[in-house]
Amino acid sequence: MPVTQSQPIAIQAHGLRKSFRVRDQAVEAVSGLDLTVAAGQIFGFLGPNGAGKTTTLRILTTLLPADAGEAFVAGADVVRSPQRVRRRIGYVGQLGGADGSATGRENLLLQARLYGMTAAAASSRADELIELFDLGTFAGRVVRSYSGGQRRRLEVALGILHHPQVLFLDEPTTGLDPQNRANLWDQVRQLRDGGTTVFLTTHYLDDADQLSDRLAIVDRGRVIAEGTPAQLKQRYSGDTIVITPAGPADSLPSLERDLAGIPFVRSTRIRDGSIRLTVTDTTRSMAAVFGALADKDVAVRAASFAQPSLDDVFLHETGRSLRDTGEHTAEPGSGQSAGEQAAA
Amino acid sequence: MTFAVQSGLFFRRKWLETLRQPVWIITGLSTPLLYLALFEPLLRSVAGGRGLPAAHVLNVFVPGILALVAFGAGMGAGWVVIWELDSGVIERLRVTPASRLALMLGTVLRDVAMFVLPGIVVIGIAIGFGFSAHWAGLVLMLALLALFTVACSATSSALGIQLKQIGSLAAVVTGVQLPLTLLSGILLPLSLGPGWLRVLGHLNPMYYTVQAARDLSAGTVATTVVGTGFLVTGAAAALALWWGTRCYQRAMT
Repeated sequence: MPVTQSQPIAIQAHGLRKSFRVRDQAVEAVSGLDLTVAAGQIFGFLGPNGAGKTTTLRILTTLLPADAGEAFVAGADVVRSPQRVRRRIGYVGQLGGADGSATGRENLLLQARLYGMTAAAASSRADELIELFDLGTFAGRVVRSYSGGQRRRLEVALGILHHPQVLFLDEPTTGLDPQNRANLWDQVRQLRDGGTTVFLTTHYLDDADQLSDRLAIVDRGRVIAEGTPAQLKQRYSGDTIVITPAGPADSLPSLERDLAGIPFVRSTRIRDGSIRLTVTDTTRSMAAVFGALADKDVAVRAASFAQPSLDDVFLHETGRSLRDTGEHTAEPGSGQSAGEQAAA
Repeated sequence: MTFAVQSGLFFRRKWLETLRQPVWIITGLSTPLLYLALFEPLLRSVAGGRGLPAAHVLNVFVPGILALVAFGAGMGAGWVVIWELDSGVIERLRVTPASRLALMLGTVLRDVAMFVLPGIVVIGIAIGFGFSAHWAGLVLMLALLALFTVACSATSSALGIQLKQIGSLAAVVTGVQLPLTLLSGILLPLSLGPGWLRVLGHLNPMYYTVQAARDLSAGTVATTVVGTGFLVTGAAAALALWWGTRCYQRAMT
């Protein structure tokens, strides 16, 4: 869903900067960040830990003043009219934020009253959310006794209680098991379908790829790439062929050089005992690659074909991988690998 | 939505939390009652003479003990603030349009209640021990010490947000507690001590609170000491509330 002139803008930031002093050294967490998010979409903010995602989110939610730059959220200036912004946004922080010593229902009631609802309106809204998020069996217990998934459901309910125009979610799937994570994805999509703009930070490729209508990839405090997941993957990389030869690992570099010369092969790299080839024309390049392997009499232990991932985009832009460990050969949409990662 | 309603809502939140952890009520009462039971007899036997007339031992002692209760009720606030920072509660509430001062006042008012209620129990028991109550003075004394609780609670919240670590907060609070309470003459009037001790006492804001509380407990209401006590304690409370609100505005984990 590209941004067009006709779509209203939910979030606009220009030249945001923020540094912190860490042991007498200024560390710039956000360095000249620009961002435009159209209303009514799920916007992913993908980057490694420490990329400045949470700091940006805190600036946009009025929690933290920026050193420089300006930001408008839901039509209001975060610096000049923070109260207006606060009325129009919802926020579910990384830490959660449910009050552990109160019951779920008490949490909801207080939140509703703080947004100006009367006691009666707060009570009926709490009932609505308890129904919607299926909190009924435990809403009367203190939150401290909740499981991680129950707690996260309550926290999302708190975030959307006042029907915000823009909902901010900071690493919402961290610590959730696959089931709860899938439920959260569904809820976020339903919110989007109901007209809410959802801005979510994540360092999980699958969150960004599967859930976002559009996303920005951030690194070292600035946006390094922006677009729909499909656009980004198409722009920066083609499909990938992964070849794992049966021979010794020290034979890989010379083999890589040979394969790099094949037509349709755009780039090559060695990772975890395999050679990864980024190719333009999958069918033709596969025939050519296997032809070359046969000519050289190379025994192949495993070969696979992978669609481009957002990690390839990140790698292309930064020379580093978003994933510190493991190979990302699973095709997008593989719920299993998403679940494993979330549980880790 | 008015500021008063928000403060009331936040107070209710903290009050429910307190009721769910009745251990606070017990620990709040045990210190003053132990002092009354185990220290007062000792004091009574050494009393007599300038500054501590035997007949008025309790009028000197009870206000000091109540000031200690007020200090304890207020200074615990920072621990809970750190816990609420770590669990994201404060961050969530700061994204709502709620007033930051009201948010802090929820804790402050709870702490005031946690001073006043045990305070009344202590006074009741002290009357049983022979404490002669002057009602107008007592009410004013509770009001003064409630103001002192406000100052302690807001200071503790501010310290908690600034220090962020339970260990650092504990070090600061316990490090400050002993000199502050000793130099306010909580257990024995500083007028019994040498000149240099009295000079040090005059540099301690809490000294004026305790002095005024003693006058009020003895039933002498319209004195300069009482006026000064309210002035100093009120100023300390206002300053602490201002500082605490600023800290809440910037609170970050």
